[in-house]
Amino acid sequence: MQNLLCTNPSFSPVLIHNFSLLSFIYSVALPRMSSKAHSSNNIAHARRTVQQLRIEASIERIKVSKASADLMNYCSEHARNDPLLMGIPASDNPFKDKKPCTIL
Amino acid sequence: MCQHVESTEINCLLCKNVRLLICLCSPFRCRSLPAQRKIYMRSPPIPEMATQEVQLNETLAHLKTESETLKSKLEEERAKLHDVELHQVAEKVEGLGQFVMKTRRTLKGHGNKVLCMDWCKDKRRIVSSSQDGKVIVWDAFTTNKEHAVTMPCTWVMACAYAPSGCAVACGGLDNKCSVYPLSLDKNENLAAKKKSVAMHTNYLSACSFTNSDMQILTSSGDGTCALWDVESGQLLQSFHGHAADVLCLDLAPSETGNTFVSGGCDKKANVWDMRSGQCIQSFETHESDINSVRYYPSGDAFASGSDDATCRLYDLRADREVAIYSKESIIFGVSSVDFSLSGRLLFGGYNDYTINVWDVLKGTRVSILFGHENRVSTLRVSPDGTAFCTGSWDHTLRIWA
Repeated sequence: MQNLLCTNPSFSPVLIHNFSLLSFIYSVALPRMSSKAHSSNNIAHARRTVQQLRIEASIERIKVSKASADLMNYCSEHARNDPLLMGIPASDNPFKDKKPCTIL
Repeated sequence: MCQHVESTEINCLLCKNVRLLICLCSPFRCRSLPAQRKIYMRSPPIPEMATQEVQLNETLAHLKTESETLKSKLEEERAKLHDVELHQVAEKVEGLGQFVMKTRRTLKGHGNKVLCMDWCKDKRRIVSSSQDGKVIVWDAFTTNKEHAVTMPCTWVMACAYAPSGCAVACGGLDNKCSVYPLSLDKNENLAAKKKSVAMHTNYLSACSFTNSDMQILTSSGDGTCALWDVESGQLLQSFHGHAADVLCLDLAPSETGNTFVSGGCDKKANVWDMRSGQCIQSFETHESDINSVRYYPSGDAFASGSDDATCRLYDLRADREVAIYSKESIIFGVSSVDFSLSGRLLFGGYNDYTINVWDVLKGTRVSILFGHENRVSTLRVSPDGTAFCTGSWDHTLRIWA
């Protein structure tokens, strides 16, 4: 694995060892922080995660059988208006070539 | 060495001053290699901790256990409602017959890989963008090019048509989204009227106008999505929550409200409320980057396509994945997905140069379409559902019907 070291904020030249894998380096733009600040950052992040999970856990859900039935109903209601599903005559479809006319 | 690496000596997009032997930034990352991991630079190891540290750590541990409990509770709640599978309910639905879809038009003119395309509401015009920086507006009926703009950057990964048909938005490696008003005068230099709307700190991966020409929603490699006012260029709302690049987004159909879904390299698909900026639902069942998300026409569900070679359908009201569209023989990633008008068919553009057509309800594949000579990078069904258009790395776009 290669190590690309990028110290912030000034981007100094990188050290490159031989590449055996392709990986993507994303330098985190944090100044050198005190250990306390580092922990409180983690806490803030954890708090946000917990809050987000609380919101997600509290939403109203319905059964999969009901949801599936609704999806099926929608499909059948709109099926006849679906040109790709039903196929429409070539004369109505601007992309399909019309049959050549015969001159009598 | 991955054959998709374009050059071995280019400027790093992040450390702009440094020339690297191989650029490792995500637009050049080869998507066909499994699960590329990003290396986050860690700050140096933390020295001896004081008592305050111990207290903070306890709070942290407490929060972590709470988040674990919440996660398992979420799984439990979701599992309780999982009484049946979609394809079981759909057994009584009539099967679909044979589909004959062929290439009806081939749009040639791009000099390099086509990365993105969008239909105009008039069901006739198409805007497409490519790696060489060109954005072209086509008339799909006649295959004529109506407008062409050269962007100042390469890899224009996102383009969108305004609802009025009077403007197009595009962006890519320039980290910006620019809006070009289209004029009827073919000789007018479009580049002169360009308006820069969005500014991100990494590449622009997707953009879309909302219901009007006045607002644009963008997603970026910097992990955020943002809503912008076109006239002033002001940021109206930003959406944070993805842990990695956001690759795609789709707005809910206008009848169903102000939400949109985004998918990213963190394998998550998030549903957001546009007004509050809050993430209301999150789905993490894919095994790799999510390249494309698209709402079901009713707005109650959405499909996603990923590098793990599967497409999945998530129902928003049941809050879970309800179907997986995959086959053992399909091993290449999906780059883009779209539904037919009724939502019965799901079209997926794959990196193995094919398009697979799936029966959404039964979960089976109904058709496989060949024609492109390189990976399909973008796929959209026309607004009236009569045809769909695909763009590919073989420099062409094809209209299928």
